[in-house]
Amino acid sequence: MNAHQSVGIVMIEDDEGHARLIEKNIRRAGILNDIRHFTDGTQALHHLFEAEDGPAKNGPALILLDLNLPDMSGTDILQRIKAEGSPLKRTPVVVLTTTDDKIEIQRCYDLGCNVYITKPVNYESFAQAIRQLGLFLSVIQVPAFEGH
Amino acid sequence: MLSKVRNPFIISEGRLGRALVVFMALGFLALVAAGAGAGWASRQNEAHTAAVAHTYQVELAISNARRLIEQGEASRRGYLLTANPDYRDAYHRWSAATPAALARIADLTRDNPDQVAALKLLQREVSALLAQRARTIGLIDSGHADTATTLFRTEASVRRLTTIRDTFERMAVTERRLLAQRDAAQQASVRAFYIILGVAAVLLALVALASLLTIIGYTRDLSRSRDRLRDFNERLEETVHERTSDLSRANEEIQRFAYIVSHDLRSPLVNVMGFTAELAAATTPLAELVDRAEAEAPQIVSDEARLAVREDLPEAIGFIRTSTQKMDRLINAILKLSREGRRVITPEPIDPAAIADTVAGSIRHLLDDRGISFSVRRPMPSLVTDRVAIEQILSNLIENATKYLEPGRPGVITVSGEAKRDRVLLSVTDNGRGIDPRDHQRIFDLFRRSGRQDQPGEGIGLAHVRALAYRLGGTIDVDSEPGRGSTFRLNLPKTYVSQDSAA
Repeated sequence: MNAHQSVGIVMIEDDEGHARLIEKNIRRAGILNDIRHFTDGTQALHHLFEAEDGPAKNGPALILLDLNLPDMSGTDILQRIKAEGSPLKRTPVVVLTTTDDKIEIQRCYDLGCNVYITKPVNYESFAQAIRQLGLFLSVIQVPAFEGH
Repeated sequence: MLSKVRNPFIISEGRLGRALVVFMALGFLALVAAGAGAGWASRQNEAHTAAVAHTYQVELAISNARRLIEQGEASRRGYLLTANPDYRDAYHRWSAATPAALARIADLTRDNPDQVAALKLLQREVSALLAQRARTIGLIDSGHADTATTLFRTEASVRRLTTIRDTFERMAVTERRLLAQRDAAQQASVRAFYIILGVAAVLLALVALASLLTIIGYTRDLSRSRDRLRDFNERLEETVHERTSDLSRANEEIQRFAYIVSHDLRSPLVNVMGFTAELAAATTPLAELVDRAEAEAPQIVSDEARLAVREDLPEAIGFIRTSTQKMDRLINAILKLSREGRRVITPEPIDPAAIADTVAGSIRHLLDDRGISFSVRRPMPSLVTDRVAIEQILSNLIENATKYLEPGRPGVITVSGEAKRDRVLLSVTDNGRGIDPRDHQRIFDLFRRSGRQDQPGEGIGLAHVRALAYRLGGTIDVDSEPGRGSTFRLNLPKTYVSQDSAA
């Protein structure tokens, strides 16, 4: 990830523990970018679209999205992000969730999700998957910020 | 509601049967009466005929005797007038036959006191007459014809003869009267016979009519009941359909619940496992620190710190790990079951024998290692159902059979099948260690196992099998004796019918 452009990582994950483990393992993969964590959809959407330091108004971002949120479904957020005319349409979204339901996976890709990862239950696999995600994040290109 | 519905279908067959038996009995009674009447009438007729014959015989005998006496008289007079011996010979012939003729009458009329009395008088008169005649003939024979003629003039033979004639006439009249009486009796008996016959016929007609009415009523009841039964049947099908969809909905609800619960349980579990791993990772630098401290400044290392780092922490982490791993497996099992319940069933024609062979083929090395002889008994009925489900059921049952052998006895596993009407029974039989009867139901529950826990497993297989069997509209049960072996019987519909509420 092009660090000099300061790509922010927005993590929308309702489980504090999961969030902490994800962050730890991403850091272990050598990713030093800023990570903003939100535990519910409302706050996350506000940050994404409204906040002054949010991705819509300030710089490129990468979104880690959990589908099981207390106030709304992750797919709703995905829909908002990828909607026609959304300022975040090109922002990469990595769905990182426990659901491995085929239909749900299809739906996410249909909505425009870039990567869908099922959280392995086994922690070793989980840690490894997140570290590999970190490595992946370190090489992918994120479109430059198009805002004003 | 059921009790209300039940009654209309009971047509009192008992009542009908009783009524018919009564009618039949009455009919037979009428027939018997008619028969008896006919018998009695013909006996009466016979008796009457005999009586008529008797009367004619008596009349014949009377006229015969009368003729003999008259002819005897005529011969005597002829002899008296002409002294022609031909008349005398004739006279002797007639008078010789007379007593026999009278005896004949006595014989025939012995039962009638009037006739007997009349006959007695007759016999007295006749014998007197005969004696008188004999005297006349004797006088003529000895040449005293004049004496005989004189005697004839004075004798009372004419008066006597008149008495005899009158008596004969009276006897004949008596016989005729008797005949008339008998005729009247005969007429009466014939009339009685016709009355009996008429009554029997009327009775028969009534019985036939009553039977007919009863049967028509019964038939009407029967058809009405059949209509009601058909209505009820249609309603029943509807009810069954409703209940089935209720059940299916409940089942789907449970499946969804199981899925959500197990799914949501996974998240905290990831945390527990994750942070346990973090904890384990964190103990390494701590242990190193304690090691270094012990080497460089042993006085700062307390026994508690040493124990905590080297034993308590690794032990606690180990227990947390094994427990969470177990929990993970259990949750996965529930997830698998619920996912199986949501899987779409695709019925197709399958051959269970071929599937059993395929399953055995996939664990061939296992069968060979354990020296198990596996066979599939053919022919096996084919059925239309979900292939994957049958594969999983047979695979679980056969693998179980290979796992729980009786030590020291070579394993024998047989898969067999039979068709029963619209059901197919598939059996997996082994000669393994068997299952305690108390556990026959329990083993189909999730996480429940039976006997020695010397084989790996979570107690999921049979629960899975049962869930699949139910899913296919079937049942599963086990017949087993500890130490002898087990037979798992899968009862499936020959053709899968969808039970989902959506259907």
